[in-house]
Amino acid sequence: MTALLEARGVVKRFGGLTALDRVDITVGEGEMVGLIGPNGSGKTTLFDCLSRVSSVDAGSITFDGIDITRHRPHQVARLGMSRTFQVIRVYRDLTVSENMELSIQWEGLGVPGLFTKADPGTRRKVESLLEFLLLAPLANERAGVLSGGQRRLLEIGMALMSEPRLVLLDEATSGVNPTLVVEIADRLREVNRTAGVAFLLVEHNVRFVADLCQRVVVLDQGAKLAEGPPRRIMEDPAVVEAYFGAEGEGGK
Amino acid sequence: MGRGLSSRTLRGFVAGGRLGQVGWTASVAILVFLFLLPLLPSVTNSTLFTLTLMLTTVGVAVNWNLTGGFTGYVDFGHAVWFGIGAYTTAILVSLQSNGPQIGWSPIPAIGLGALVAGLLAALIGRATMRLKGPYFSIAMLGTFVAMREIVRVSGFTGGGVGLTLPPYLNRPLFYYIQLVLVAALVMFTWWLRRTRFGAALVAIREDEIGAEMRGIDTTSFKVSVFSFAGFSTGLFGGLWAYQNTFVDPDIAFVEVRTVDAVMSTMLGGLGTVAGPVVGAVVLYWLREVLWANLLDYHLLTQGALLIVIVLFIPRGLVGIFDRRGTSVNALWGRWLVRRADPGRKEDEP
Ligand SMILES: Nc1ncnc2c1ncn2[C@@H]1O[C@H](COP(=O)(O)OP(=O)(O)O)[C@@H](O)[C@H]1O
Ligand SMILES: [Mg+2]
Repeated sequence: MTALLEARGVVKRFGGLTALDRVDITVGEGEMVGLIGPNGSGKTTLFDCLSRVSSVDAGSITFDGIDITRHRPHQVARLGMSRTFQVIRVYRDLTVSENMELSIQWEGLGVPGLFTKADPGTRRKVESLLEFLLLAPLANERAGVLSGGQRRLLEIGMALMSEPRLVLLDEATSGVNPTLVVEIADRLREVNRTAGVAFLLVEHNVRFVADLCQRVVVLDQGAKLAEGPPRRIMEDPAVVEAYFGAEGEGGK
Repeated sequence: MGRGLSSRTLRGFVAGGRLGQVGWTASVAILVFLFLLPLLPSVTNSTLFTLTLMLTTVGVAVNWNLTGGFTGYVDFGHAVWFGIGAYTTAILVSLQSNGPQIGWSPIPAIGLGALVAGLLAALIGRATMRLKGPYFSIAMLGTFVAMREIVRVSGFTGGGVGLTLPPYLNRPLFYYIQLVLVAALVMFTWWLRRTRFGAALVAIREDEIGAEMRGIDTTSFKVSVFSFAGFSTGLFGGLWAYQNTFVDPDIAFVEVRTVDAVMSTMLGGLGTVAGPVVGAVVLYWLREVLWANLLDYHLLTQGALLIVIVLFIPRGLVGIFDRRGTSVNALWGRWLVRRADPGRKEDEP
């Protein structure tokens, strides 16, 4: 069986700095994979390469069997990969529902579809997703007035609007209050179970990762340090060293 | 602005859709009035020509708003499309000996002028719209200046001397043509904003990378709207050239036309439908009535107006009621940030 997402030997340099050094990563259909590592280890850079905001200096990326190494980001999104951002990107001047309506699956809309208003089906979907993410009361608020945690939820909602097959979550729980974190975990698990959506999640919250993921990949200084089931990874001496040795508070 | 009762009442009023009704009724009334205006005995041909020029300013501002206000690409060279429309028309209709003497009739010439402007905008936009913030703005200013100089040194354009067009007399006809065009253009933007395409333009303004990553083909969208704006401004350029009966590089390619479009849109409300219309009319009126005897201080007063907008009405006159626009501060804030945004997010293939 081929993986849904498969990246091989990804290299990304910023001037003299090698941010990613021949990284391999795969995510299977419906799988939940954690991506952890100290700050600056290249997690966000890897997300940028996978979602094609950044070009890679070497290596290849395939999604659903299609080579996307040279695709543009919107093409990747249309194939069914969506993501959230460590530095939140919502359309601040637009309302919560408008943000959601703009995150539809644009593939197959056609030119006539572009020149029509959001259809009732889309609006129902927005409503039910907002309900699901506890954002329904804020539907008509400007996204700019939401709290950090609410914006993270909105971003997750936007990432789910397009009915993706894989969602990349970049620190989706940072700045979110602990009760909400539990809610988010529940929601993600439910989406994964009912819709078979695969997740690749960058997290500092180790408990969150251990709870949700079947497999964890550890990055350190741009290279893959370890990979395996969460329990084994947490006990791996090299991982412990990378997290608690050099970084001190990196993996709280 | 007060956050008290008055503002809440206002918002309730807007949300209740009553503003929409008032707006529609007022628009229809104004349109009917403008249609009947030429029939009044006191309205002379020269008044009609002034009004036609005002409609030109309005039309160009509405077009500028499509890229500047909706999509967030602040174009400092928009007047280039006006010049190209004007010159194409002039070349096609002029029988002057220093031109190519093609001798077309005006309607097809003006139409082709607009098409040429639109096609060039598509080509140039493909290149310049890869640039962000100030880089885009300056590239467009460069395009504008370069085009003027190309026209000045070329043979078929009549060079620096310019081209004289056949004499033309029917002021009311062109007044009506432009009135219909401007009305259609405003209706078009009103409709466009309600579509997914229009919403996607706003998404590009708000966060282009985010929009791209959420499946919006940002390049096609922004280049399409940019070339439509070029086409439409080229149309007004052709109409202007025909009525002016003379073009030379310095009157067909004028910076002020861009400045007016930018100022009108900011004054009326960036990214709103009625904003550029209201802004252009107010600006035009201020200039004709108030500043006519302040000519020496023209730039100074314009600068002062800019400060007033930024400080007191950043969302513009229409933007006070219409939340869906954006503010001068937000637009220019993003404009600067785009320059500062490091390779991190802008590192496109
Ligand atoms: N645009 C950029 N230019 C230069 N260096 C960058 C850029 N983006 C990231 N880096 C560097 O690449 C490394 C990895 O960063 P990042 O992917 O953000 O790490 P993480 O998400 O794991 O904290 C860091 O050393 C960072 O400074
Ligand atoms: Mg990061």
